[in-house]
Order: sequence, then structure tokens, then C-alpha cells
Amino acid sequence: MDTVFKGEHLLPGQLGQFFVVLAFGAALFSFICYFFATQETVAKSDNSWLRLGRIGYWLNTVAIIGMGVCLFYILYNHYFEYHYAWSYTSKELPVYYLISGFWNGQEGGFLLWMFWEAVLGNILIWKAKSWEKPVMTTLALSQVVLGTMILGLQIGSAHIGSSPFMLLRSSGIEGPIFQNPNYLDFIKDGKGMNPSLQNYWMIIHPPTLFLGSASLVVPFAFAVAGLWKRRYKEWVQPAIPYALFSSMVLGTGVIMGSFWAYESLNFGGFWAWDPVENASIFPWLILVAALHVMIVYKNTGHSYFTATFLTLVAFVLVWYSSFLARSGVLGESSVHAFTDLGLFWQLVIGILVFFAITVYLLISRFKEMPITKQDEETYSREFWMFVGAIFLCLSCFHLVLVTSIPVWNLAFGTKMAPPTDPVKHYNFIQALFAVIIALLSGFAQFLKYKKTGTTRFFITTLVYFGFAALITALVVYATGFYKLHFLFIIVMLCSIYTIVSNGKILADAVKGKFKLAGSAVAHIGFGLLLVGALISAGTKKVVSENLTGEQYSADFVKDENPKENILLYKNEPLKMGDYMVTFTSDTIEGASHFFNINYKRVKDGKTTESFVLRPNVIQAQGGMSSTPDTKHYPFHDLYTHITMTNVITTGPKEEEGQHGDNTDDKKYDAPVTHEIAVGDTMAYRDGIIVLKGLNNNVKLQNIPITNKDIAVGAQLEITTHGKKYQSEPVYMIKGRAVFDFGKKIEDAGLKLRFTKIIPGKTLADGKVEITVYQQPESKKKFIVMKAIEFPYINLLWAGTIIMVIGFFMSILRRNKEVKIV
Amino acid sequence: MKKSSIIGIVVIAIAIAVIISTYSNTSTYGSFNDAKSTKSELHVVGRLNKTKELFYDATKDANYFSFYMKDNKGEECKVVYSGTKPEDFERSEQIVLTGKMTGGEFHASKILMKCPSKYQDGKLNVSEVSAKKSASI
Repeated sequence: MDTVFKGEHLLPGQLGQFFVVLAFGAALFSFICYFFATQETVAKSDNSWLRLGRIGYWLNTVAIIGMGVCLFYILYNHYFEYHYAWSYTSKELPVYYLISGFWNGQEGGFLLWMFWEAVLGNILIWKAKSWEKPVMTTLALSQVVLGTMILGLQIGSAHIGSSPFMLLRSSGIEGPIFQNPNYLDFIKDGKGMNPSLQNYWMIIHPPTLFLGSASLVVPFAFAVAGLWKRRYKEWVQPAIPYALFSSMVLGTGVIMGSFWAYESLNFGGFWAWDPVENASIFPWLILVAALHVMIVYKNTGHSYFTATFLTLVAFVLVWYSSFLARSGVLGESSVHAFTDLGLFWQLVIGILVFFAITVYLLISRFKEMPITKQDEETYSREFWMFVGAIFLCLSCFHLVLVTSIPVWNLAFGTKMAPPTDPVKHYNFIQALFAVIIALLSGFAQFLKYKKTGTTRFFITTLVYFGFAALITALVVYATGFYKLHFLFIIVMLCSIYTIVSNGKILADAVKGKFKLAGSAVAHIGFGLLLVGALISAGTKKVVSENLTGEQYSADFVKDENPKENILLYKNEPLKMGDYMVTFTSDTIEGASHFFNINYKRVKDGKTTESFVLRPNVIQAQGGMSSTPDTKHYPFHDLYTHITMTNVITTGPKEEEGQHGDNTDDKKYDAPVTHEIAVGDTMAYRDGIIVLKGLNNNVKLQNIPITNKDIAVGAQLEITTHGKKYQSEPVYMIKGRAVFDFGKKIEDAGLKLRFTKIIPGKTLADGKVEITVYQQPESKKKFIVMKAIEFPYINLLWAGTIIMVIGFFMSILRRNKEVKIV
Repeated sequence: MKKSSIIGIVVIAIAIAVIISTYSNTSTYGSFNDAKSTKSELHVVGRLNKTKELFYDATKDANYFSFYMKDNKGEECKVVYSGTKPEDFERSEQIVLTGKMTGGEFHASKILMKCPSKYQDGKLNVSEVSAKKSASI
């Protein structure tokens, strides 16, 4: 008999699942109708196939929005009977993070991808005119393939897709709890969100990235349509604005991701050559290459095959990178890949579908393609644009080759491991490509299409090259970049050359040839991006060098020990580079534990600058995640994050308020007793203590003091690390018993007891015994932190923004050129 | 010769160069025994020996962490890592070290560990720490 479970809200899930199936069905229907609409002869047509196709696609769009609404409803109301809500959210999560919880899981990612594709499809239905039928066939097909990913159909032991509306009790998590009809009473809260994802960038970065990858389907669909309907020459022009749009959005999405990593992850940089990061730029590199070759073809009629080939391959790579990130194949080599949801083979099929279309069309139509027989001129823009595109492809080829090492291992049964120092490997080889690409994006701009006069070209090129060399020399000298490998200086030279020569083009454009402005701006942005990345990654400096000199073994030191973390005790200032840093306090705000670290720049005894950085640590899901805080200057950033602390313990808390003095004293070092008179000073490890006076009028809580009793307080002043504290331990004789009430000064890690009165001839002459307990170093509150200085990182972000503006200007221009019927 | 054929040859040459340089840069997965016989860095996969002491005392040296690991062949070795102790290290199920043998100790420059259910089910529970010099372009 089936158990009837109590308290479940099954309706939104059933509705959602209905939409999942509807979306898939509608997409399939739309695909079939569009396919027949494309195949039928136009003259005889009554457009019924076309209309049905549109209805299918609209239905698909509605279903996708429906899924989104249902899923958000579930998350918003915290229905933890759903696996998705339970896995990625919790009750204390603010609403704006519920939005990012939406695309936290893979299913949500697919949903987002489908949503953008639906939006793009509707735009195309509206705009594409005669291209609608074949282009929409491809889009509908893509929606079908995506639809299978979230179907969640169980056929025997195999399952197709993983649905976001899966119930927790049927998600494969076994437990006796699910035998109980009241099981929901025991699930009070979800597992919550991975702390490193609780960042505002996670609300905006994934939708941008997904829009970028999803939009790659449009140029692909145009290329397919062009080959399929034998409209070879026509497809390129309408596809260019879409390709520009994809490059712009995908590029922005990737850089947003690296900005998120820089701002909120603690690997200390903006790019780590992680396989998943690499995978996200494969399609971008190929698409940008394709874009250049498409423009070559449009202007000269050359390079048709390359343009088509690259446009098609770019989209296949979207699927390949999706496979890398989601199939679990990168498990051993990447930090942020997903585990396999059982979609491994489905993702492979996804790649194969689009790869098969590419191969079939390229082979079957090869003979009919308008391929030019004669060579391009050497002194023509198209020739060097073509060469540049080829080098972009080679750069991508290298990334694919190294990133896919786990795939090669799987496919060929080899046991290769990625390079031990992947960053160095990638930096070096990619720098070689960057030299050529940057150089070409500089001088190709001086060339004209078809043919250019050589003398003038050589003169301008050389003049600007000399100018760039001069600037490079200055920059390299000023930033200390010359300490790096020679190759990186060459990259710098070429990047600066790109900026200067495109600056010249931009200046000309403003005077008249405004058409070229977009490309000039985009290339300037690209150059700046390279310069910013080079300087900040190349000359970043760890400020938090450990100079205390505490070492373990001589062997260890020889091993080029990084020593990049420093230890800060609470309220004990430490000199770090040009700064005096103090860990002053820590506060808990929501799930985050903030550490206030005071930075002071001191020059000649005067404080010239003082600010507080607040890196924080979030504890969730049994893990800790450290979020850095960064002080932004116009020309450099100071970045700080906590690598370790004893303030927060992940283990069970030690029982507070220990009973009895004995156990409490164990928390301190062996006590030291001092016999001192009023006005005397005693020293301890971290400072001095002065006995200011004795107080005979002590009032104690809950203990009435009669005339027979003696109660004396010792007024002590503690000076440690520039701070003063007051404390008054009390000594008391009540009846026959002797008591003493010690006082703790938590901030100074001290406990003071007034343990004896040694009478002298007069009271003033007498001495008292003070027992000083101080916490061992390890019991004092401390943090271990790392601080890095990133010079000129703003150039990287500025370059990105300028590049995006350039892309946008180009879209406006190319869009005007398009005349579709 | 036509320019397109020249480009073709250059492209193929570069592609081959890239493949060779990548191949020569790949390292191998090995055991501690392999590490003893080579001077180059390699990857060692294994498990933390939880019965032996994990040593990390930030107050003495915030950049020294040592522990004992058993590789997949069952051989045990002391591992020294110059950095802070990664969070939840004790809970790790599998560790992938990158580094080399120095004296009797394995000096790791990178630790990649897998923990049970640290993050979501969907996300791989892998985290990585690296002791490499930060300025490493």
C-alpha cells in the first residue's frame, strides 16, 4: 500500500512537471512543423506548416515561463519536499539569493538556457522574415535537445534528464525517514546555499553567461540555413549582428565571472586557468575568429569555407564546454565542475547531434560553396584578419587540448595528469598566441581591403610601433614589469601597439570614417584588457609576508618557502609592508562572521591614511568559505582575506563557563605572583600593569558586606600594545573564610587575582600579592590572513567595458547594413 | 607556392608544436615510491592517515602544515605543505597532492581534496589549495 504523506504541496510540482513535458512536446512539434515548412516549395505553400511551427514555439515559450514560475514558487515558499529547494536553499536565505538559488543546480541552468533561447526565438520569428523557417528549425531542435535534459523520465533503470521538480523522497536519498507519513515534520530547513555563491554577482553573472552561450545558436542556425537552403552568400550578413551580440554578451559574462572570483573567492586572482573557466571561453575565441572571417567574406568574397566552418564549430563547442562542466569528467582536475547527474551520455548525444549537422552540411555542400580560387593580396586587410582568426583558433585549440586531458584519458585509456604547474604552462603558451593576435589587431587596421600601398603602410606601422615601444618602455619601467620573462614584455608591447594604432583609427573615425569606430573601440578595449591582466597578474605582490622568522627545519626554508600568511593576534598591531595592521574586532551579521582589520599607513610618526577592511567568513553546510575584502585605489587594489582563525570553530563548541577555578585556570599559562606596593609596576609578556591604589569601598553583587568583613579592591591599570584597560580584582575576608574575586580582561587575554595582603607597618606601607594569569598565545583570539596588492587591475575592468562598448557600436553599424527580405 | 598552402603548413606545424609541448608538460599520477625515484613534480592520490598527528599551529608558523598520507599502494609518507591548513581537512576522503620528495618528506605545492557532502549534491565536493607563489605569471 502506498503511504499517504502529510503536509506535501504537490500541486506546484505537478504543474511544473506538466510544463516540462509540455515544453518538450511543443518544441518537438515546432521542430517538425518548421522542418516541413522549410522543405515545401514556397509557391504551393499555404503557410500552415509555418503557422503550426510558430504556435509550437510560442507554446514552448509559455511552458518555459510556467516552469520558471512554478520553480520560483517552490523556492519562495520553502517547500523542502522538493529536492531542488532542499538542496540549494534554506529559510534564512534572503529573497535575492533565492533568485540565485534558482540557477544553483544544473537543472536551473538548463532552464535558464532554454528561457534565453525562447526569447531569441521569438525575436527571430518577428525579425527573420525569409530566414524564419530554416533558422527556427534549428532553434526548435536545440530546444528539443535541451528539453530532454530536464525531462526526468524514468525508463527501467535508465533515466532521461533530471527534473527540477523531483521530490526529495524520490530523489534517491534513502532513509527510514521517508517511511514516515509525517516525514516533512522532521525536515525543518533546507541544506542552504554554498556560501561562496552567496554573492550579488551570482545573481547577475549566470544569466549573462547563459544568454551569451544560448545566443550562439543564432549564427549557427543562420549558417545551417544558408547551407541547407543553398543561400550560400546571403546568410553571412544577417548573422553578423547576432554574432557580435553573442561575442559581446558571452565576453561580458566570462569577465563578470572573473570579477566575482576576484571579489568573493579567495584564490587571490581573477583567472586561474581552471578547466571550467577555460571551457567557457572556447566558444568565445572561435566565435570572435568566425566574426572576423565573416566580415572578410562580406567585404571581399574570400574565406567562405572558414567563415562557415568556424560559425558552426563555435556552437558545437558550446555543447562541448557544457559537457565538460556538467558530466563530471573533470572531477579530478577542476574545483568547480558539477558532478554527473546521470546526464553523461545525454550530453554526449547533445554534442553529436550538432556535430553531425555540421559535418553533414559541410561535406554535402562543399562542392557548391562559393570558394575563391585566387589568393588574397599580402598587403590587404582581409589576409591578415584571416591570419589573426587562425591564431585565435590555435589558441583555442591549445586550451581544448590541455583542458580535455581527462577526456583523452577516458577515451584512450591513458593515464596522463594535467601539468603540475598549469598556470605557468597556460600563461606561457597563450602569451605566444597573444603576441601575434595583439600585433595583428594593431597593424591590420592600417591596411585596406583588397590592396594597400606598401610605402605608406610601412611608414605608419613603424611610426606607431616606435611610439608603442616608447610607451611600453615607460610602463615596464614604472611598474617593475621588467622583472618578468621577456615574452611577457613582448606581449605588453604588442598590446600597447594595439591600443595606439587603434587610437589612431578612432581619431580618424571621429573625423569622418565613423564606420570604423566600433571596431577601433573594441580593439582598444581588448588591448587595455591585456595590459591590465598582464600588469596586475605579473606584478601583484603579496604584502602579508611573514617576516617573523620562525622556521621549522633548514630544509624547509631552502625549498623557497612562500610564507604568504601572517598571524594577527587581536589588538596587537603588526607591521605589514607599508601598513600597520590590527585585528580590532569581529562581529556576526547573519550567516557571515566579519573581521575588522584596521590598516594604517604611517610615515614619520604620522598616520597618513587609515581605513578598515572587513573580510568575512561564511559558515554554511558544514563548510567555511572566506570572502575577501578589497580596498580599491585608482591604480591598485589591496586585497585581504582570512585563511584561518581560531575565533570560529567548526567543531563542537567548548562548554562555556567552566565550573570552579581550577578548570578555568587551565586555560591560562602558569600563574606568576607579584608582591607590589601602590604605585609599583609589574611587567608581563604583552605589557605592564600598574597598581594605582587600593579601594576599601568595594561593593559586590549578591554579597552583603558587614563591618566585620574586609573587602579590598586593587585598582590596576594594564597597558598593552598602546591600549589601556582598568581592572579591579577583589580580596575579601568574610567571617573566617578568605575569598578572592579575580577579574578577566578578555581583550588582553588576562586574568588577575588579588591573592594576599601583606601587612606592613602602616596600611600605605603594606604590600599586596597579585597573581597574573595570561592566556597562552594559542588561546588568544587570532586570525591568519593573506593580503595581496594588485596594481592597475582597473585597466582590466575598464578594458572590458570599452570592449563591450565597441561591440555595441559595431552591432548598431552592422545592423544598419542588413537588408533582409 | 600559394599563400594558403603556406598558411596551412604553418598552422599544422604550430598545432604539432602545441601538442608536443602539452604532452611534455603533462605529469603523471604516481605513488610515493615513484616520487622517490624522480626529481620532477608529480601527482599522488591517496588517503589521509587519521590515526597519526596532523600538525598545524598558526601561533608557531602560520605557513607550516604537516600530516601523514597513505597512497593508493598503501605506502605511507609524511607530507609537508607550506600554507595554512585547509578547512575540513580531517574530513577529506581522498587527497590529490602535487609536489615532490625532498629528503624523507613529500613537499606538496598543491592539495586537492574531496570531502563528503561538503557542498550541494550537485556540486562536486572538491576543493583545492595551492602554496605556489602568488606572483606566478
